[in-house]
Amino acid sequence: MYLMSEFSDQFTLAGAIQALKLRGADAADLDVFSTEPVDLPAGLLDRPSRMSLLTVCGGAGIGLLSVFFVYWTQHNYEIVTGGMPYFSPWATGVIHFELTMLGAVAGCFLTFLWESGILRRDKRAPVPKLASGVLYLRVRCEPSQMLATGECLYQAGASKVEKLEERA
Amino acid sequence: MATTLRTLPHDQIQEDTWRTLRNTSPQYVTAVLLTGSVTAWGLICWAYQISKGLGVVGKTRPTMWALYILNFVFWIGISHAGTLISAILRLTHAAWRKPVTRAAEAITVFCLMIGGLFPIIHLGRPWLFYWLIPYPNSRLIWPNFRSPLLWDLTAILTYLTGSMLFLYLPMIPDLGQLGLHTGGARGLLYRTLSLGWTGSDREWHALERAMKLMAGMILAVAVSVHTVVAWDFAMALAPMWHSTIFGPYFVVGAIFSGIAALLLIMAVIRKTMGLEAYIQPRHFENLAKLLFLMSLLWAYFTVAENLTVWYGNQPHEMAVFGARVRGRYAPFFWSMVICNFIVPCVLLGIRRLRSIKTAVISAVCVLAGMWLERFLIVIPTLSFPPLPSAWGTGYNATWVEISIAISTFAAMALLYLIFAKLFPIIAIWEYKYVPDE
Repeated sequence: MYLMSEFSDQFTLAGAIQALKLRGADAADLDVFSTEPVDLPAGLLDRPSRMSLLTVCGGAGIGLLSVFFVYWTQHNYEIVTGGMPYFSPWATGVIHFELTMLGAVAGCFLTFLWESGILRRDKRAPVPKLASGVLYLRVRCEPSQMLATGECLYQAGASKVEKLEERA
Repeated sequence: MATTLRTLPHDQIQEDTWRTLRNTSPQYVTAVLLTGSVTAWGLICWAYQISKGLGVVGKTRPTMWALYILNFVFWIGISHAGTLISAILRLTHAAWRKPVTRAAEAITVFCLMIGGLFPIIHLGRPWLFYWLIPYPNSRLIWPNFRSPLLWDLTAILTYLTGSMLFLYLPMIPDLGQLGLHTGGARGLLYRTLSLGWTGSDREWHALERAMKLMAGMILAVAVSVHTVVAWDFAMALAPMWHSTIFGPYFVVGAIFSGIAALLLIMAVIRKTMGLEAYIQPRHFENLAKLLFLMSLLWAYFTVAENLTVWYGNQPHEMAVFGARVRGRYAPFFWSMVICNFIVPCVLLGIRRLRSIKTAVISAVCVLAGMWLERFLIVIPTLSFPPLPSAWGTGYNATWVEISIAISTFAAMALLYLIFAKLFPIIAIWEYKYVPDE
């Protein structure tokens, strides 16, 4: 079960999240929706991220693959090079750099899709139709906690609290 | 800037930017038809060139690189307008960037598409361009990864991919909102491209992180791409090409022409779309200052490049230098100096003269000057190879290559017109968002 509440400013919203957390709500059960980013105090609703790490991994992975691939292709068909080395990191360094960056860009984009929830969205969870200037707080809670959570949200300054079922 | 942001109501910002997507004026249709016709003419000319062979263009020994390669360098240079400038402004949290970034990022994507076409147009058998892609063919001969041609391919591919994502990522929230309020095929397009954006804090957090990382990466890629384009020339043992400063010289030139293109396009969309409240004189003022700074930097590099050649007095280099400065190509050279240095210094360097109009005039001059600079890099060196017996009689472009070159400018305008009609040219959510200091 979900409660969808509406707030007019980020300070009231932050107060409501604080109140819910004091009542034992988990950050994973809370979602803020808005038409633009909301700056909440640090530690209030942090979303841990591994995007930087995965971006570096994407770059390193594709970069290394490009080194092995170029090395292999240079030896796979042994052209006459007149004594020059088959594989020259100096001359192919640009390729490795560019493919490393391509891997990093791809890693960053894929991590964005994953961490934003776009790739693993719970389609049953209700989503508000966003209006400009309104901040929405969705709370997932047990049916037994509905009433108390709703009251907590009103006390914290919500202009509207609505009970929503999971979507079919 | 912050005052303006707060005084404009959210609904008005949305309405102003969405209005440009809904209304189609007769002038817009005329512009699309005009640019579409010129683009179509360019495609016909390319088809003619393919059917008749490269003999229909003016390339002759020793000038085997000509208008196509100089246009390739020119367009790749302009592509730095967007992503590079946008990335710098994002990383430095320049608040005035907000109405500028998307317009700039779109320039990059379209310029790269157009610039990337030129090496293919330049090929004798363009249908075989896929030979550049490493695939296990029947004889297992792989591309030569040591060739700067392969460097170009990977650099442009990476830059294009990165730039498209850099343009696309901050568009997702706006597309999500547009998808909610638009019906029909257009609404379906917005909803599909928005990937089901809901506006949750997880999505915003991920987007902000991704944009920061992308901005950092794209900076490195943008610099590397134009350095690689410079190395196409500098790796050759040709007079006035084999220079260690060619990489940074090209990067400076690229940013210079990129800012000029951005100024010009901003002036056009401000006027035609009625976005005076968003693209304000201060944006032109800031970009004009940047343009002036880049003009000085460009002059410094040009002097450094030419002075060392003149002082070295190597005969094969002096032949090219002489042709540029006082010979066959002198009118181009001095026009370039006037366009790239004198005009910006006078119009933008003197504070009283600095205005939107003078910024636009300077931008047009710089674009013309940078095109001339590319011409002066490519043509004179090839016309005067180290052996005097191989010197050419001069390069004359034919109507085919001139038509193709002109049509790419029309293609750029056409792509931009279509983009501005389909997608908000100003990032609405970024404009509304005023971060806590």
